[in-house]
Amino acid sequence: MRTLGWLLAILLAAGAARAQDYLDCHFAPGWEQSGEARHYAADNLYDYKDGAAEGYLIFGFLQMRGITCKSGAETLDIDVSEMSDADSAYGIFAANLDPSLPVARMGMGGQVQRQSASFAKGRYYVEIVATGVSPDSDRSALLRTFAARMLEHIEGRDSPPQALDWFVKENLLSIRLVPESVLGMRQLKRGYVAKYKQGQAFLVVEASPESAAEVLKSLRERLDGASPAQVGDEAFQANAPYLDGICIFRKGRYLGGYANLPEPRDAVSQAAKLAAGIP
Amino acid sequence: MDSKTSRREFLSAGLMLPIAGASSGLGFFSPSGDSASGPAGSPVKLNYKTLGRTGLKVTTVGFGCMITSDPSVIERAADIGINYFDTARGYQHGNNERMVGAALGARRNQIVLATKSGAQSKDALLSDLDTSLRELNTDYIDIWHLHGKGSPADIRDDMIEAQQLAKKQGKIRFAGVSTHAGQQQLLPWLAQKGVFDVVLTAYNFSMDASMEQAIATAAKAGMGVVAMKVMAGGYRRVRPDDPLYKKLQQPGALLAALKWVTDKPNVATTIPSMTDMDQLDENLKAMAHPFSAGDEKLLAAHLERIRPLYCRMCGQCDGACQKGLPVADMLRWLTYADGYGQFALGRDKFLQLSPELAAVRCGDCAGCTVKCPHGVQVPNRMARAQALFA
Repeated sequence: MRTLGWLLAILLAAGAARAQDYLDCHFAPGWEQSGEARHYAADNLYDYKDGAAEGYLIFGFLQMRGITCKSGAETLDIDVSEMSDADSAYGIFAANLDPSLPVARMGMGGQVQRQSASFAKGRYYVEIVATGVSPDSDRSALLRTFAARMLEHIEGRDSPPQALDWFVKENLLSIRLVPESVLGMRQLKRGYVAKYKQGQAFLVVEASPESAAEVLKSLRERLDGASPAQVGDEAFQANAPYLDGICIFRKGRYLGGYANLPEPRDAVSQAAKLAAGIP
Repeated sequence: MDSKTSRREFLSAGLMLPIAGASSGLGFFSPSGDSASGPAGSPVKLNYKTLGRTGLKVTTVGFGCMITSDPSVIERAADIGINYFDTARGYQHGNNERMVGAALGARRNQIVLATKSGAQSKDALLSDLDTSLRELNTDYIDIWHLHGKGSPADIRDDMIEAQQLAKKQGKIRFAGVSTHAGQQQLLPWLAQKGVFDVVLTAYNFSMDASMEQAIATAAKAGMGVVAMKVMAGGYRRVRPDDPLYKKLQQPGALLAALKWVTDKPNVATTIPSMTDMDQLDENLKAMAHPFSAGDEKLLAAHLERIRPLYCRMCGQCDGACQKGLPVADMLRWLTYADGYGQFALGRDKFLQLSPELAAVRCGDCAGCTVKCPHGVQVPNRMARAQALFA
C-alpha cells in the first residue's frame, strides 16, 4: 500500500512537471526568462489582473501559470490559465477574441494579432503578449512560433465543443459560451449563444431531462402570454420584452431556443432547426 | 404587441416579486426620504447622489458591465432608471465595450457612461480612447479613467496630459482614476493633485477603517467617489453546506454588502456586476432601504466566517512553520476544496508535497509557530487539510 502511495506521488509529480513544460522562453532562439515564474489561483488572481480577474473567475478559472521572456528590449508575457474544463477554456477564448479577425486552427481555436496571440487547448487558455516594440511592429511570426511549441506540450482536446456543430451555420455571426445567465435569465445557468444576422439562438445542457423540464416550466411561468409550440420534446413560444419573438424548447436534457425575432412563429421555425441538429 | 407598452409591462412584471415581498412584511420598495422618482412609468424609486465636482446626478446603484453577457440586462437597467454604467477598453479585449455600446445606444443621452484605459503612454491612451468612442458608438465619454493604478508612481504626467487633451477636444467630460490597491496612499495624492474629477475604487465592508479616511479625503477635495467590488469577492460563494447558507439566502440578505456602501455619504455610486434580471431586481432594492442593524449583523457574521478561514496571501507566514509546511499554499489548496468545490485539485496539490511534509500532522505539535495577522486559524485549517487530503 505504501509503495502504491509513493508510486502515485511520483506519477503526480511527473505529471505536474510535464504540465509546466509548456512554459519555456527557449521556444525561440535569443529569448531568456526574466524573473520568477508566476502562479495565481482563484483567490489571488486579483493581485495580477485587478478587476479583470472577474472575467476569468466567471469561466471556472482554477489557476494561472506564467513567465516573462526577454530578448533585448522586447518582452513576451506568457500566461496559461487552467480552467475547470475544456468547454470553459474555449469559452473564455471565445469571449476575448476579436470577432473581426479569423480564428486559426490552434488547439480548439486561436487568434494571432500583430502583438498578441491567444488560444485554447484542453483545459488551458493561453495568452501571449509582446511589449517593448513599436506600436506598428508585427510580431505575429514570433507569436506563432511560441504558440506552436506550446501546443506540442499542452495536453487535452483540440477540437471545439461539439455543441457548436449543432447550431445552424447560415447567417451565423458568432458563437460564444455564456458562463451564467443565458439571455439574462438566471434559470438558464450556462450555455452557448449564437448570434445571427437576425436574432440569436441558445443551447443549455441540464443535468437530466427532469431538471430541464423544471427549468422550462419556470421559464414559461415567467414569460407572460406563453403558448405551446411543437419543437423537441416540449416547447413554448412568447413575445417578451427585450427578447421579442422567442421560442424555447426541451429535447432530452437540452434546453434550446431562438429569440429576438419579430414574431414568435419565426422563432419557432428557427428553434426547430436547432432542435433537429441536437442528437 | 406595442414595444413601449410591452417594456413597461415587463418592468412591472419583473418587480412583482419584490412588491409581493413588501406585502409579506419584507418591505421592499417602500418610499425613502432620499428617494426620487425614476423615469416616467418606472415603478422603482431611485436614490441619487452628486458625483463630486462633476455635478452629475447619479443613481446610488450603478451597473458594472464587465461580466454581463446579455445586453438585455443593461437595456432594462437603463429603462428602469439606473444611470451610471461602467465598462473598460480591456474587458473581454474590447468585446464588452461593443456590447455596452449596442445596448445603450438609443439611451446614450440619459446615462452617464464611464470607461477606462490601462495604456501606458499618452499616444496609446488617446488611441484607446478613439477606439472606445467607436466601439461604444458615442462621440463623448462622461468619465474616462486611467485604469488600475496602485500608487502615485503609476500615474505619469503624460497620462494626465492625455486626459486633459481629451477634455479639450470634447472627447471626455471628466477625468478619473480606477484603483484596486494602495488607496491609502493614492487617494490623498489624487485629491492633492487636483486634476482628477472621479475616483473608482474597490471598497467594501471587509476593508479596514483607513479606507474610509482615504475616501473622505478624496470626497472632501471634490472628487466623485465610485465604489466597485462592493460585494467583497466570494460573498456569493457561500455553499449550501455552510451553516450561514440559509441565513444568507434570506430575501435581501445578499443586499447587505451593497447597502453598506450605498449608505456611505462619501460614495456617490456603486457598480455591482450584474448578469441577469434577478440580480438587477435584487440590487435595485438597495436604493429602497437604508443599511440596517439586520444588515450589520449579517455582514459581521460573514466577516467572522471569512476571517478564520481564508488566507489573504500576505506572505507573513512564509517560513514560519517549525515543520517547514508551506502554510499559504496549503490554505489555498483547502480553499480549492472548501471554497470552490475542487477537491481533486486540492488533493493533487497536497500529494505533490514531499513525503516528509505530507506526513506532518499539526495535531502532533505542542504549539503552533504560525501566527496569522489576519486571524486565520492556521492550526485548525492545516489539520483539516491533512485530514481531507492525506
